Amino acid sequence: MADSDISDNEPTTRTLLRRVLDTEAPRTPRRRQSTRAGVQRTPLGTPFSMRLRSQTKTTAGRQPHRARSIGRLAHIQTRGQLKEQTPRTLLENILLTAPESSMVMPESVVKPVPAPQVVQFSRRESSPGSLELQLPELNASTTLAPGRLTSGRRKKRLRLSEFQQGVDQGLPLSQGPVTEPPGNTGASSLSSSLNLTFATPLLPQSVQRPGLARRPPTRRAVDVGIFLQDLQDTSVATALPGDRTPVATLPTDTVLEDTQPFSQPLIGRSPSVHHSLPYPSLSAERTVSRRTRSSGPGLQNNSPGKPAQFLAGKAEEVDALAMGFPNTSSSTSGEDGLEPLLGGVGEEVEERMEESMSLSEVKEAAGAQASARAEEPEAHTEVAEAEGSWGAIEEKEPEGSSGDKDTEGRTARPELASSTPEFPRARQLEFLEPAPPTSTAVGLFRQQFIPAPSLSSEPLEPLSARLPTRVQTAGPRRRQDPYKMGLSHYAKLFSFYAKMPMEKKALEMVEKCLDKYFQRLCDDLDVFAAHAGRKTVRLEDLELLMRRQGLVTDRVSLHVLVEQHLPLEYRQLLIPCAFSGNTVFPAQ
Amino acid sequence: MAVAATISQRKRIKRKAPRGFLRRVFKRRKPHLRLEASCDLLVHLNCLLFIRRLAEEARTDACKNKCGIIKDQHVLAAAKVMLKKSRG
Repeated sequence: MADSDISDNEPTTRTLLRRVLDTEAPRTPRRRQSTRAGVQRTPLGTPFSMRLRSQTKTTAGRQPHRARSIGRLAHIQTRGQLKEQTPRTLLENILLTAPESSMVMPESVVKPVPAPQVVQFSRRESSPGSLELQLPELNASTTLAPGRLTSGRRKKRLRLSEFQQGVDQGLPLSQGPVTEPPGNTGASSLSSSLNLTFATPLLPQSVQRPGLARRPPTRRAVDVGIFLQDLQDTSVATALPGDRTPVATLPTDTVLEDTQPFSQPLIGRSPSVHHSLPYPSLSAERTVSRRTRSSGPGLQNNSPGKPAQFLAGKAEEVDALAMGFPNTSSSTSGEDGLEPLLGGVGEEVEERMEESMSLSEVKEAAGAQASARAEEPEAHTEVAEAEGSWGAIEEKEPEGSSGDKDTEGRTARPELASSTPEFPRARQLEFLEPAPPTSTAVGLFRQQFIPAPSLSSEPLEPLSARLPTRVQTAGPRRRQDPYKMGLSHYAKLFSFYAKMPMEKKALEMVEKCLDKYFQRLCDDLDVFAAHAGRKTVRLEDLELLMRRQGLVTDRVSLHVLVEQHLPLEYRQLLIPCAFSGNTVFPAQ
Repeated sequence: MAVAATISQRKRIKRKAPRGFLRRVFKRRKPHLRLEASCDLLVHLNCLLFIRRLAEEARTDACKNKCGIIKDQHVLAAAKVMLKKSRG
């Protein structure tokens, strides 16, 4: 049947369908989830075939409209019926049911619509469903009257009456807005042809474009060898600048966890430590930024080179750090001794931290916190500390003055927070600090560990012996979290007020801004209190601040703001209110 | 007071002011100063208003750029404006 017709000048629907079925491979239809046409499922079969028969009477002009209706019908049909309905099966059904009658077709041909065209048609089709659109016939009709079809992008329930009307009107209308189908030379002819016209030019295209079919994804296997090589290169590169360490540290992963390098003599290494400081600090900063984001185990993997470096100089640095606690100003003087450090570190650190609190506290906190969260073996925490300090270093570049405090803070921190294995790293941090301007934020977080036990009693000698025995401390976590938690509390409020989705980076930026804001707030309150000759910040200072910020105006008073934004319990504390018994609370 | 149940059931917002956090922050920055009894509540109020304005500004920025998500550059630009405004 099909073969004989193919040679005809007037391809019929049947021939086109047959051609399509023969040439096109079965495709899995994309299912649409809507179930809109469920009601019309049953009558679909008959109207469809009826319409097919009526196709013979209609002219090509009707096609677009009818094609659309058919498309919808087919879509509904496919949806209503089993999920296995494919365009191919539908076409076969059509072939079975439609009468073999020659359609009125112009000489130019209607070629079977290839599957890709069906897809295109589906896109242009008014109904959004994909199933129906894949009917090749519909595709052809779309090309015929794209205007008509595109106009109906909205989903419509297909009504039987509408469909029949569409069938009747479709053919005459199809001649109208015939637009390009890609490479469809027979568009005009298609429009004149009846109903199931196919865009014959499209067929060769589809055949010529096998690439439209699904391709298996090309995956490249991971070249482990290259990866390892890169690791080695990285570690070598990072180890080079601060190469006071033996090559043994290069196996970074193992080195990180194992504190063996500390077996090297710690004392007398400070000069060499300083040499390595600029490099490791620089590299550390880079790695810190990288590593702050990683978890504990990941720390080692990120920068194998860095840990090697750290461990390399740890022995020396640990000593220097321990010694250098009291001498924060001179990071180089590491060998002063641990004892004085431990004693006075607490107070010194605190004070310095307070003074050195700088803007990017939050940034460091973020970095240090992220690294601090690695509370696995101390090696990780140490690395985290190192990272935190470096992160601070990076950010605090402009804050050179706070360098001293940071060193103290850092040194105090490693002492307090961790056991000996952490010392070397902490020391390392110490030395790194002088090279880059140290930041204060680290000190802030170190405060938490001042009361931490253990470290104070550790002399240097046993360090190497103690390295294998690691004390799992939750120090790093405690250090960063309180401040970060407070800021994150406000950051959540920010995301609540914004009512829009936010990126994680945006939240971190919010925390940074909050940090700056807090600094400004404290400074302003200080100035106001000093202006009033007081050493205590009072409510009127706050009110003055808000007035200067423009929150409190002549129209809006502070009490109004309190009432609006604070819960009742706080309002009772802030706004004096008269109670029974002739009392006012809070007392003025 | 702890949870803002009425505002949004979807997102539970804590209405409590982190008083300890605020006091600690102030103490660390200005150890020589003392904070009065309920001053930290007003500080909290100040922060709330600041964040509210910041969020509005960031949302405006994001909508201006026709972004459906607030990105950090929006926040940064908004923060510049807001910190200028709240200079006091």
